[in-house]
Amino acid sequence: MSHLQVTDLRVDFGGLRAVDGLTFGVKKGEILCLLGPNGAGKSTTLDLICGKTQPTGGSVRFEDVEISRMFEFERARRGVGRKFQVPSVYKELTVAENLAVAQSRKPGIWHALTRLSHSGRDRFEPILEKVGLEKRADVVAGNLSHGETQWLEIAMLIAQDSRLILMDEPTAGMTIQETARTAEIFRTLSKSHTLIVVEHDMSFVRTVADRIIVMNRGALLAEGSITEIEANEDVKTAYLGH
Amino acid sequence: MTTRLFYDLAGLALFAVVIVLGVPALMGFDAFELNTFARYLALAIVALALALSWGGAGLLNLGQAATFGMGSYAMAMHLKLKASGDALPDFMGWNNVSELPLIWVPFHSLAFTLIAGLLVPAFIGGLIAIFMFRARIAGVFVAIITLAFLVAFQLVVIEQQGITGGQNGLTGLAPLELPGWSVDTYSLSFYYLAAGCLMLAITLGLYITHSKFGLILRAIREDADRTRFFGYNVANYQTAIFCISAALAGWAGMLYTLVLEFASPTYMSVSFSLAIVIWCAVGGRDSVLAAAVGAILVNLLEGKLSDIYVEGWNLMLGVTFVLVVMFMPRGLHGLLGDLTNLFRRGAGKRRGNRSAPTQTAKTGQEL
Repeated sequence: MSHLQVTDLRVDFGGLRAVDGLTFGVKKGEILCLLGPNGAGKSTTLDLICGKTQPTGGSVRFEDVEISRMFEFERARRGVGRKFQVPSVYKELTVAENLAVAQSRKPGIWHALTRLSHSGRDRFEPILEKVGLEKRADVVAGNLSHGETQWLEIAMLIAQDSRLILMDEPTAGMTIQETARTAEIFRTLSKSHTLIVVEHDMSFVRTVADRIIVMNRGALLAEGSITEIEANEDVKTAYLGH
Repeated sequence: MTTRLFYDLAGLALFAVVIVLGVPALMGFDAFELNTFARYLALAIVALALALSWGGAGLLNLGQAATFGMGSYAMAMHLKLKASGDALPDFMGWNNVSELPLIWVPFHSLAFTLIAGLLVPAFIGGLIAIFMFRARIAGVFVAIITLAFLVAFQLVVIEQQGITGGQNGLTGLAPLELPGWSVDTYSLSFYYLAAGCLMLAITLGLYITHSKFGLILRAIREDADRTRFFGYNVANYQTAIFCISAALAGWAGMLYTLVLEFASPTYMSVSFSLAIVIWCAVGGRDSVLAAAVGAILVNLLEGKLSDIYVEGWNLMLGVTFVLVVMFMPRGLHGLLGDLTNLFRRGAGKRRGNRSAPTQTAKTGQEL
C-alpha cells in the first residue's frame, strides 16, 4: 500500500494547466526523485502535496486520509514536511531557536506557553552534530554561510521529523563533498521517512533514488529505475526536444 | 539560562530598584508627585502590552487605546455606582435615563469589575483578531483595521450618552474600597500598588517573550508561511497574543481610572493610541521592559515640557518619533545593544582576545 497516493491531480493557473492528471504513489521508506524539464510542474506538485497551492481537482491521500482540502498546517501536523527551493530559515533567530521552532510535534498554544524557548536543547545536539553545526548553535541564522544555511534547513527537517519529506532541489549551490554528505543523510533518513525529491543533479539522483518519475507538461512521462529512465526514448525527446 | 534571559532579568531587577526605591526617594515621598508618577506607571503597562503584539509578533495594533478604554470604563462604572449610593448615577438623570441600564448592574461587584476589566477587552480584541487572522490579514492592514475599530468604538461610546456619559465621560467617582483598604490615590501605598501592577505585568511579558510561545511568535513575525509548514496554526497564535495584549491594556486602563479619578472618551482617541505607539518605539518595541521605560521617559518629559511649551509639545513629540524611526529603529533598547557591542568589540581588540568576535556576534542578537 502506498504511503502517499496522488490520483488524477490537476491545477490551473488562469488558463495554464500546470499539473494535468498526475497519478503516482510512493511506498513507505522510499526515496522518489521527480525529474523533468523546466516548467514540467515538479515544484507545483510538491506545492499541491504540502498545501501551498490548492488543487483544481484530483486527490492526495496520505496514510489513507484525503489531505488535498486541508490547510497546510493541518497537513504538516499529519506528518508532511517541506523544504523549499530558496533556503527558508528564520534569519533573525539563532540556530538553536530555528530547531526549537522546527521541533513541532506539539504545535498547540498551551504547550508553547508552558515551555521556555530553549527547552529541549539537549535533543538538538545530535542533530546539529549530524550536519556539522554543533559549534554554531547560538549564532544568528542570518550570519551563517550559504552552505551552513542549507545544513540548518536539513537539520530543521530532521528535527521536524515528518514522516513524508518533500524536498525542492536540496543540493542546489552545494559543493561535491556537501552533496555527497547530503546523499548520505538522505539514505539514513529513508530508513524512517518517505522522501520525494526534486533534483537536477543526476549523480545525486543516481546515488539516492529508489525510483524516478519524469514529468513533462504537468503529466507523468516515465516511471522506473535510473537505468530504465536513461534508456527511455520519450524522456530523451522531452529533454532534447527532438 | 540563556544570555538574553540573564540580561532581561538583570534589567528587570535594576528597573524594580529604581521604581520601588529610587523614584519615591527622589520625589521626597511627595504625594502629588507620586500620583503623577503612578500615572506614568499605568501608561507603561499599556505600552508593554503593545510591545508584546507589535514587537513580539509584528502586529501593529493601532486600536490599543480602545481596549485600554474598556478597562478604564469598567473601573469607572464600579466607582460611579459606589459614589451614587442607591441613587441613579447623576448623568443618567440628565439624559432622561430613569432606570439603571442592565449593563451597569453587575458592576456593583468589585470582583466582577476586575474580571470584566480584563476579559471584556480580551474578548473584543480576540473577536477582531479571529476575523483578521483567519483571513490571513497581515502587515499594514492590521494597523488600518484596528485603527478603524478604534474610531468606530470611540464614536459609539460618545453617542451612547445615557450609558457612558458621552463626551464628559464618567466623573465624580468614589475612591476604590479594597477589603480593609480605602485607596487614597495620593499616597505612597497607592504608588506601590501601581508599581506592583507594573512589575507583575513586566514579569508576565518577559515570561511570554522567553516562552516557546514567544519564540513561535517571533518565527511568525519573520515568516508566517514557513511557520505554517511546521504545523503551527498561525491565526491561533496571533489571536492569543492579541487577547493577552488587550487584557493587559484593560488592566492598565483600570489603573489609569484610579489615578485620574475619572474616565473620559479621550482615552480612546486616535492621538492617544498613536502616543502609545510612540512610547513603544522610543523605548524599543522588541522588549517589554524597554517599552515600559519608553512610556515612562516620554511621559516624564511631557510632564516637564508641556507646561513650558503648551503649543509646541505635540510638535516636539512628533519630531522625536520621526527621528527615532529614522535613526534608531529599535529604540533606546536597540541603541543600548549597539553601544554595548561597540564597546565589547573595542575591548576585545585591545586585549587581542580571539574569542571576542564570536562573542559579539552572539550578544548582538541576545541584547
